[in-house]
Amino acid sequence: MAGFDGKFIEKIIEKGLFLFSLASIVFIVFIMLFIFFEALPGFSQMDLLGTKWAPVEGGKFGVAPLIAGTLLVTLLSLIIAVPLGISTAVFISEVAPQEVKLFLKSAIELLAGIPSVVYGFFGLIVLVEVLRISFDKPTGESWLAGSILLGVMALPTIISVAEDAISSVPKGFREASYALGATKWQTIWRVVVPSALTGITVAIVLGMGRVIGETIALMMVTGNSAIIPSPLWNVFSQIRTLTSTLGIETGEVAQGGIHFHVLFSLAFLLLVITLAVNWIANYSLNRLRHGNNHHNNKEKMIFELKNAINGNSESETKNGRKLNEEMKRNILSSIMDFHLRKFEDLQNRISRMLPSRLTQKIAFSMLTLSTLVVLFFLGSIIFYIVSNGLGAMSLEFLTQFPKDIGRAGGIFPAIIGSFLLVGFALLMAIPIGIGAGIYLAEYSKDNIFTKAIRNAIECLNGIPSIVFGLFGLAFFVLYLKLGISLVAGSLTLAMMVLPTIILTTKQSFKATPMEWKEGSYSLGATKLQTIRRICLPNSLSGIITGAILSFERAIGETAPIMFTAVVFSGRFLPDSPLDPVMALPFHLFVLSTSVPNSNHNAYGTALVLLMIVIIIHFAALHIRRKFKGRE
Amino acid sequence: MIIQAKNYNLWYGLKHVLKNINIEIEEKKITALIGPSGCGKTSLIKSFNRMNDLIECSRTGGEIIFREKNILDRETDVVGLRKSIGMIFQKPNPFPMSIYENVVYGLRIDGENRKGELDSAVEKSLNRAALLEEVRECLYSLGTALSGGQQQRLCIARVIATKPEIILMDEPTSALDPIATAKIEDLMNELKKHYTVIVVTHNMQQAARVADYTGFMYLGELVEFGKTKQIFEKPKNELTENYITGRFG
Repeated sequence: MAGFDGKFIEKIIEKGLFLFSLASIVFIVFIMLFIFFEALPGFSQMDLLGTKWAPVEGGKFGVAPLIAGTLLVTLLSLIIAVPLGISTAVFISEVAPQEVKLFLKSAIELLAGIPSVVYGFFGLIVLVEVLRISFDKPTGESWLAGSILLGVMALPTIISVAEDAISSVPKGFREASYALGATKWQTIWRVVVPSALTGITVAIVLGMGRVIGETIALMMVTGNSAIIPSPLWNVFSQIRTLTSTLGIETGEVAQGGIHFHVLFSLAFLLLVITLAVNWIANYSLNRLRHGNNHHNNKEKMIFELKNAINGNSESETKNGRKLNEEMKRNILSSIMDFHLRKFEDLQNRISRMLPSRLTQKIAFSMLTLSTLVVLFFLGSIIFYIVSNGLGAMSLEFLTQFPKDIGRAGGIFPAIIGSFLLVGFALLMAIPIGIGAGIYLAEYSKDNIFTKAIRNAIECLNGIPSIVFGLFGLAFFVLYLKLGISLVAGSLTLAMMVLPTIILTTKQSFKATPMEWKEGSYSLGATKLQTIRRICLPNSLSGIITGAILSFERAIGETAPIMFTAVVFSGRFLPDSPLDPVMALPFHLFVLSTSVPNSNHNAYGTALVLLMIVIIIHFAALHIRRKFKGRE
Repeated sequence: MIIQAKNYNLWYGLKHVLKNINIEIEEKKITALIGPSGCGKTSLIKSFNRMNDLIECSRTGGEIIFREKNILDRETDVVGLRKSIGMIFQKPNPFPMSIYENVVYGLRIDGENRKGELDSAVEKSLNRAALLEEVRECLYSLGTALSGGQQQRLCIARVIATKPEIILMDEPTSALDPIATAKIEDLMNELKKHYTVIVVTHNMQQAARVADYTGFMYLGELVEFGKTKQIFEKPKNELTENYITGRFG
C-alpha cells in the first residue's frame, strides 16, 4: 500500500493519464490527415458546379445535386424542427407542472435514444406511405419525407439544449417582470426568451449538426436520386445528400479507384462543414457560459446589496467577506442604473401588448399543441414498432439463425454480433476515456495545450458517424489489413464514443466539491489518494451513466460499422475477432430496404433494438437515482 | 514556541498577499488571527500546512520554521506536514461517507486497516471532539446528515485521528448558530490541553473569549501581535485600536 502511494507511482500515473488525454488530439489529426490524403486524388475530379452525378456510367462527378440535397434537407428539417422544438422547450421549462415536466424530459431523452435506423424504418414503412396516400403521389420517398424524419430526430437536441438555456435565465428577471404586472406569457415572451436567445441559437446550430451528419435514416426515405428538385421548392422530389452518397456507394466501389477517392473528397467536405458548424456552436456556447456568469454575478451583487442596506450580516458570514463602503456605493449606483433602464424598457414593452389574458390563452394553447405533436411522433413510432414487432417476438426469433435471407428464422447472430461490437468498443474506449477525463479535470493546467485537447474532443464529438465509417474502412480494414471484421468495427466505434466518455468523466470529476478535496489534502492525503477515495466514488454514477449512454449510442449506429464489420447474413458466429459479424441495425437496414416481404422480421428486429435501448436507458436512470439517493 | 514565520512573504501571481510576516506561535495555546476581509489571515494559516500549494501561481519568500526545518523548502514532505498540522475549514466539509469512515480517513490513507486500531481511534477522536455521546448509536450513518455544528465537530475528530500537533481553524464557527458556536469554543479550550490551536476569526468577541494570543492583520501585514488581554485592552498600534473599537472593518 505504502509503495503504491509513493511519489514515483504518482508521477507515473499522472504521465499515463496525460498520454490518454493526448489520444483525442492524435485521433482527430490522424482522421483528418488520413481522409485528406485518401481524398487528394479525388479533389481534381470533383466538379463542384456539375449537375450530373454519374460515377459509374459516365465517370461524372458533379456534386452540385448532392450539396443542394444536403442543404435543402437541412433547411426544411430546421423549418419543421425549430418552431416545434423551441415551443416544446418553453412549455417544459415555463408552463408544465413538475410531474409533467419530468415525464416530458424522460420522453425527450427516449426520443434521443431511438437508433437512426429505427427512425429510418419507421419512415420507410409509415411516413412514406402516409405521404404517398395523402398527396396522391407515385411514391412518398422524397425530400419532404427525409426532412420530416430528420426534423423529428433533431428535436431532442434542440429541445434539451434550449430548455437548459431557458431554465437558466435568472429568477430575478422573471420576478422583476411579474412585479411590474406582466402576465406569465408576457414575461416569457418579453423577458425570458430574449434572455435565453444565445442558448436557443446554440440549440438550433447543434440540431443542424445532427441533421447534416445523419446518413442511414435519410438513405431509407429520400429515394436517393441525385437530382436538384425542379422547381426548387418541389418538396416531393427525390433527393440525395452527401451522407447518403457515402453510405450507398462506399460499399460498392472498387477500392483505390478514382470513384473511391472522390467519395473521400466528399467525406472531407462533409467533415469540414460539420466541424465548422460545431465550432460555431461551441464558440457561442462558451460565450453563453460567460454571459451566464455575468447574470449570476449581478444577482449576487443585488443579494449582497439588499443585505447591506437592511443591515443584515447574512451576506458577510455567508461569503466570508464584507463589502467595504466604497464598493457598496459603486455597486448601488450601477445596479440602480441598470434596473431603471430595464424597468422603463419593460414598461414600454408591456403597454404595447394586446389584451393580456387572451394572448396568454392562445400562446399557451400553441405551446401545448407543439408539445403534443412531439409526443405524437414519439408515441406513434413506439406504438407501430411495438404493436407490429410483438407478433414476431418469440424464443426462436431471439435464439435462432436467420433463414430465407432473413424473412424467416431468428436474429441470434445479429444480437450477439451487436453486443460483441459494442462490448469490445467500450472495453477499449472506457479506460482511455476515463483516464483522459481524470487528467483533464484534475491535472491539466489552463494553457494552450489543454485548450487544444478540449477542442480536439469537441471536434471528435462532432464528426458524422459515416465519416468514422469511411475512416475505419480506409485505415483499419484496408491499411492495417484487418479486413471487414469485428475488431475493425469495434475500433471504429471506440473512436466514436470516446469523446462522450471523456466528457462525462471530466464533468463528474469537476462536480466533486472543492471542500471535500481540501478536506482530504489537509488530512495529508496525496493527490492520487484524494482522487481515488474522494473524487472517484463521487463521480462513479456520472461515469457509469456516460458509459451506458455510449453503449446506447453505439449499439444503434449503422454507418460506422457497415463498411468495417458487418455482413448481412452469417451462418455462424464469429470464430475470431478477425471474422465479420452480423449486427442488429445493419440487419434491420438490409431487411427493410433490400429484402421484399420481410416486414414481419424487420419489425421484430426493430423491436429488439428498441427494447435494448429502452432497457439500457432505464438502467442508466436507475443508477443515477440510486446514487443520488445515497448522497 | 512550536511554529514560527520569519520574514514570510506570499504572492498570488502579481498580488502581494502577505508582507514580511514575523510571528511565533506558542505551544498548546490558542492563537487567534483577526482583521478585516482580505487582510491575509486565511492565507497565513494556509501557509502553515502548505494548503496554498493548491493555488496555481502562488510564490513564497522567507521561512516558516516547524520542527527546526523550513517547511517552505522544496524537499518538505507536504503530505507528512499536513498530518502534523491539521485544518478545520470555514464550512464544515465532512466527506460523503459514514461518520466512522470520516474519522478513519486519515488512517486508512496511511494503510491502517486493522479494525481494533480504527475502532479505538474513532472512539478516542470522537470523544475528544465532544461528539461521541451524540453519535454513538449512528456511527455508520452518513456524516453529511449531521447538523452543522455536529459536522464541524466531526471534522475536528477527523483531524484529531491523524494525531496532529497543531490544528488550524479557518473561521470554524462562521457558518454555525450561536449555540453550536459556543460548543465549538468550549471544545477549543479542551483541545489546547493536547494541541496547539491557531484560529482565524471574524468575530472579535470570539478571539477575546478563547484566545491566549491574538494577532491583528491588515492589508497583508501583521500589525500587532501579543497576549489577547493586551491587544484588546491596551493596543499599542492605532490601527489595532481603531479596528477593535469598531471604527472600521
